[in-house]
Amino acid sequence: MSSLMDMALIGAVMASTLRGTTPILLGALGETFVERSGLLNLGLEGMMVAGAFASFLVGFKLDSLMLGFVAAAAVGMILGLLFGFMTITLRVNQIVVGLGITIFAHASCSFLHRVIFGNQFPIMFTAGQTHEVPLLSKIPLIGQPLFNQHWLLYLTFLSVPVLYFIMYKTSLGLRIQAVGETPWAADSSGVNVLKTRYIAILFGGIMGGLAGAFMSLGDLAFFVPNMIMGRGYIAIVVVMLGKWDPLKVFLGALLFGFSMSLTSALQVAGVKVSPDFILMTPYLVVIATLLIFARSTNLPAALCVPYERGQK
Amino acid sequence: MNVPPLIKTAGITKSFPGVLANDHIDFDLFPGEVHTLLGENGAGKTTLMNILYGLYQPDEGHIEVCGQKTRIRSPYDSLKLGIGMVHQHFALIPNLSVLENLVLGFEGGFILNMKDAEKKLKRISEEYGQAIDPHELIQNLSVGERQRTEIIKTLFRGSEALILDEPTSVLTPIEAEELFQTITTLKNAGKGVVLITHKLNEALAISDRISILSLGRKIAELNGDELRSMDEKDATEKILNIMFGGKPIPECSLVEKTISDQVVLKLEDVEVMNSRGVVGLNKVSFEIRGGEIFGIAGVDGNGQKSLCEAIGGQRELVSGRIRFRGEDISRKSVSKRHEMGISYITDDRMNEGCVLDLSLAENAILRGYCQPPYSRFNIIDNTVVDRFANKLIMDFDVKATGPYVRTGTLSGGNIQKFILARGLSTEPGLIICSKPTYGLDARTVNYIQELLLEESKQGTSVLLITSEMDELINCSDRIGVLFNGKIMAILDKCDATPEKIGKLMLGIEE
Repeated sequence: MSSLMDMALIGAVMASTLRGTTPILLGALGETFVERSGLLNLGLEGMMVAGAFASFLVGFKLDSLMLGFVAAAAVGMILGLLFGFMTITLRVNQIVVGLGITIFAHASCSFLHRVIFGNQFPIMFTAGQTHEVPLLSKIPLIGQPLFNQHWLLYLTFLSVPVLYFIMYKTSLGLRIQAVGETPWAADSSGVNVLKTRYIAILFGGIMGGLAGAFMSLGDLAFFVPNMIMGRGYIAIVVVMLGKWDPLKVFLGALLFGFSMSLTSALQVAGVKVSPDFILMTPYLVVIATLLIFARSTNLPAALCVPYERGQK
Repeated sequence: MNVPPLIKTAGITKSFPGVLANDHIDFDLFPGEVHTLLGENGAGKTTLMNILYGLYQPDEGHIEVCGQKTRIRSPYDSLKLGIGMVHQHFALIPNLSVLENLVLGFEGGFILNMKDAEKKLKRISEEYGQAIDPHELIQNLSVGERQRTEIIKTLFRGSEALILDEPTSVLTPIEAEELFQTITTLKNAGKGVVLITHKLNEALAISDRISILSLGRKIAELNGDELRSMDEKDATEKILNIMFGGKPIPECSLVEKTISDQVVLKLEDVEVMNSRGVVGLNKVSFEIRGGEIFGIAGVDGNGQKSLCEAIGGQRELVSGRIRFRGEDISRKSVSKRHEMGISYITDDRMNEGCVLDLSLAENAILRGYCQPPYSRFNIIDNTVVDRFANKLIMDFDVKATGPYVRTGTLSGGNIQKFILARGLSTEPGLIICSKPTYGLDARTVNYIQELLLEESKQGTSVLLITSEMDELINCSDRIGVLFNGKIMAILDKCDATPEKIGKLMLGIEE
């Protein structure tokens, strides 16, 4: 009897680890390219909030999940463009712009939610559907938790090797690495520094928007204003932890997904510790792993430095 | 010649706030020739080349490439037209491999094809005799190898015209020799080479034509063969006459001076770790007396930086002792040592020596900003500061429009003069001078060497770290040779010869 319980619990932990990992991983993969190009996007948290709200609003009102996800990507991209225009073209301080976008997104989404939905938090019943992968989902024990999930979750995990390939084996990846390290040298090699940075931040915005959409339409089926709860910032930490390498970033995101799912598992298992303390675990893991692994990080040399031709 | 020039500029004019950097410059380069640009710091050589390379846009004038009038809006345009530039500060990404740096910007497809790139590199290596490991990261290469990578990079992109910006300033004599062979190979292969330099002997040795710039204007174009047919001394004289309008460069004066018996600085078995945690100085002992110039020779990276920082106070001693005027200063802070009269003039003038974004006046008081007379009750007294900065500018002939200009707008030579002025203004007992004339033109070099000699005559001790053999032998009273963090030998001025020092620098003992 108790072993059956254990099995169910293990399965649940596995499934919720994957679901908890997905938004962080989406955001972090985008941020990996953004930071490699020399931009520090602290607006990621806000892009995720905006993505979550836009996807729910559009999806719910038009009764189309697909349009919801498209809306999230579009809103993320627009915020990315805004961030890019401010920091790349106007060369405003990246930290100020990033925090500004996050605060703006939080406030405006809460406001619009209040205006449109009042005090209601409607649920979109068609959202959050999972898809069984034929055959693989029939594997005992791990089949259901791993292969009966939302489509965006599969896509996110599959994108890891693809993005790894793009970072290290394509001209775009090479250029992104170059403009984040020594932009004037990249410029002098014939790389368009500003364009490359714009590509990176637009991609980062799309990924941030989708990360939010996964929260409101993939994992859950509703929107509440502070549902992102710092996942954008955790994603930024994960990028640093993973040293700007998509594969290592993936492992880092998995660690946080796991510690998040553990918090609920510990509560379900009835561990006699204050629930407040249990809720703290993911954040403690953040601090602990940073202390252990990220002590010697080689930041991209031009991170946060705007590029202007002729100013060495 | 019937072939159109590879590059031709007509009436190029470019001004920056307060300076006319290029004033109607006509310049051309034909295939298979070396055309050298000579001129003082701030004469406009680098500006002209940056215009050709698309980094700046000219205010007036136009550029022709192979007879076609074109506009060059970016380095990409320039590279497409077959113009390649080897920068003084290499335009390479340190954490990428050689091959990745070669293809960057012209990858030829979304997915990188490193196999083809490697084949192409091999072909170029064989054709021009330039070997390099394609998979090594740039950060692991020596300066000479990085420069070779830059040259290969221009060939890799099929450049017909190569611009080399002060290529030998970072090289050891042997590496420079190899570079000249490379330039000759390139020339024989029909490429055009623009060489920017302010070393006359280099210009004389290799150029087909020499153009001389001064204050943004082209003031002469000389024929290399004609100059070589003259006596070397006459040729040098002729160029200097044109460059400096007949003002003779004073010879380094060798006036007798008295060195006092008082030991000013004494190092006893000093050991420090360098920034990579390896032994930087290995039981170094020597002493400098009042009014003495103690030269330090050595190939870059053999402990010079550690030595400066150990004495200046930025680097902690592992063991040993440093005494200044008899007092043990091993544990004293940087500012304390500075107060006691030790002035450290770094070789990294752009980063460590001053803050480029601040004005000259602000830089002038970086050290003493919170003390009278510059500030009272922690409020900076601008009139005093301006007067002080103005005095430095006037006394040391710094070319600047006033104490308010942003330091970054000055040329390297003028920044160095200003830093020296500041370092000497406190009337220190000991000056640590690291490569004080690195990258400067002949006249400024002379000025600075004179200044140091003058200081030593007045009783100041000088620790002079330099990689220029002439400077070392002309200025120093005694010379210590550093190799691998160890003093190999200390030579007296009278028995120091370049051969002897050269051997010791490479760790060969007699």
